[in-house]
Amino acid sequence: MGTVNTADPHTSFLADKDAKVFVAGHRGLVGSAIVRHLLSLGFTSVVVRTHAELDLTRQADVEAFFAAELPRYVVLAAAKVGGIHANSTFPADFIAANLQIQTNVIDAALKCGSVRKFLFLGSSCIYPKLAPQPIPEDSLLSGPLEPTNEWYAVAKIAGIKMCQAYRIQHGFDAISAMPTNLYGPQDNFHPENSHVLPALIRRFHEAKASNAPEVVVWGTGSPLREFLHVDDLADAVIFLMDQYSGLEHVNAGSGSEVTIKELAELVKDVVGFQGKLVWDSSKPDGTPRKLMDSSKIQEMGWKPKVPLKEGLIETYKWYVENVINANK
Amino acid sequence: MSSQRRSIEAVDANGDGAMSFLADKSAKVFVAGHRGMVGSAIHRKLEALGFTNVVVRTRAELDLAFQPAVEAFFDAERPRYVILAAGKVGGVHASSAAPAQYLTQNLRITMNVVGAAQRCGSVRKLLVLASSTIYPEDAPQPMPESALLSGPPAAGSEWYAIPKITGIKMCQAYRAEFGMDAIVAAPNNLYGPCDPFPSERSHVIPALIRRFHHAKATGAAEVAVWGSGAPLREFTHVDDIADALVVLMDRYSGAEHVNVGSGSEVSVRELAEAVREVVGYEGRVAWDASRPEGVARRLLDSSKMRKLGWEPKVALRDGIKELYHIYLRHQWDAKIKRDLAHA
Repeated sequence: MGTVNTADPHTSFLADKDAKVFVAGHRGLVGSAIVRHLLSLGFTSVVVRTHAELDLTRQADVEAFFAAELPRYVVLAAAKVGGIHANSTFPADFIAANLQIQTNVIDAALKCGSVRKFLFLGSSCIYPKLAPQPIPEDSLLSGPLEPTNEWYAVAKIAGIKMCQAYRIQHGFDAISAMPTNLYGPQDNFHPENSHVLPALIRRFHEAKASNAPEVVVWGTGSPLREFLHVDDLADAVIFLMDQYSGLEHVNAGSGSEVTIKELAELVKDVVGFQGKLVWDSSKPDGTPRKLMDSSKIQEMGWKPKVPLKEGLIETYKWYVENVINANK
Repeated sequence: MSSQRRSIEAVDANGDGAMSFLADKSAKVFVAGHRGMVGSAIHRKLEALGFTNVVVRTRAELDLAFQPAVEAFFDAERPRYVILAAGKVGGVHASSAAPAQYLTQNLRITMNVVGAAQRCGSVRKLLVLASSTIYPEDAPQPMPESALLSGPPAAGSEWYAIPKITGIKMCQAYRAEFGMDAIVAAPNNLYGPCDPFPSERSHVIPALIRRFHHAKATGAAEVAVWGSGAPLREFTHVDDIADALVVLMDRYSGAEHVNVGSGSEVSVRELAEAVREVVGYEGRVAWDASRPEGVARRLLDSSKMRKLGWEPKVALRDGIKELYHIYLRHQWDAKIKRDLAHA
């Protein structure tokens, strides 16, 4: 009957490297980093599917996949993601696709009977707009959401609640990790649909390549943000899969803040753009400050390793090799 | 109640000449959840108003939680109007015991119906039912629509409230992206006819009816009720809800959800007294104040609904009398005993 688990039920994730792990969303920023890490750790049975091979928004297809594959572990890193502009242009797509993906994958994972552990990835945008800073896990739902990404946030909150509900009702070992803003190789660098950091890399690179006199950045530059390299997040995910089985979701952040202005200047420096940096303050800033309180995961013994400048240098190098040069 | 004439006039709310709901009575209306309290009330209401093309499906005929089935249904039927009154309901105790089922089932029903309604292209207007459980426990009383997401839903009710909150946001998102006329109504505690008789596990008025009737029939000296009797609650008869839903379908196209409550508060003690009198039980009501009783007050601010020209018509005592007659007629007591024996 497929991969029926005859191993010690207390085998931890990291001692179970021949078990089948399904990573949903392996083409995205987070999913690709997780797959890289799993393979480098020696996991021998990592299962992935592209969107064309398996549309996670289709309930029947997801159920058939799980029934056929019977994975022992699942990491749900698939989602419809985007920045402020994308969320406000496609709100229905954002809320509906993410709800479908989550509901289908969590429910099929339970129903197929083989999944021993499930990790759901959310986002720091689930927290109220005016959450206390740093943002602790228990500020979830304590106030109104940031309107510019509320569609995505509502869907992700429902996913957290699904994991809790499945644990309570079925004893299903589903955990949720909430990363802060992420960056790194294989990010989406589309100029309008991407998040702030990859968008900045792209814009400064294009300005450098075309000798543009200036780069205009949305907002005032004053909001404070925290960034975590995706390799650190992948590390945290594997750590949680191995060691955490709690009801509450877990924040995964670097603990280090920069202003968008400092970030833009750092990217400009890393890319080597010599022109001017101009701020278009008629465009929205988004949330004034977002710093996660990651003391819970840190008290468990996890810490991030990649400093921002180093991470940016590596990410820019990847961008040039894989996006720019690959298209030549 | 059905003998009372209720007239609601059709209104061309936005002046664009397009037929309003009430002027469009031969259009196909899909009522999802027509066997439930709200669904059956709106179904009755539409038939009484002369709608000639109301489509319904039992759960066995159409599992709203199964995406392919819902899509196929909408593609085949192509309704012009949809009223989503289907869902897994059962009160806090039931949902706390089966959180996964409540959350998943209700999320799926909402996602599937809203999604398929948009996809099929024929739906001009969609109404989704939410609930006052969306509001936090410490919301200001009366609770305005703006209290949504000002705090978490009460612990234990989140498995039911989260899908309702999600439904509101889905309708807003579909309106913003596709221009879909999707609206949401949020009632408070409901009571009224339902076939079979409403579960006493989730509805306090049927529960009180059964207990007072049983005490009367057996000559018991007293009926014990949990709590002090002090908390205030708002009850709205489902026929009044159905009226409100018709008004909303005819006249409201806003992104914000709309509260629908009678506005009449009653203490749990007054409620128990009213049921006792209607049933004709002459023994004592023994209040056990050591037992939990819920929050002190839970009243909707329904001024927005009132401004649309709606007002509730069913007095609580009349509604309880009607329900008691239904109870007697269906001999629900014997059925529940059979159900419990098989549970």
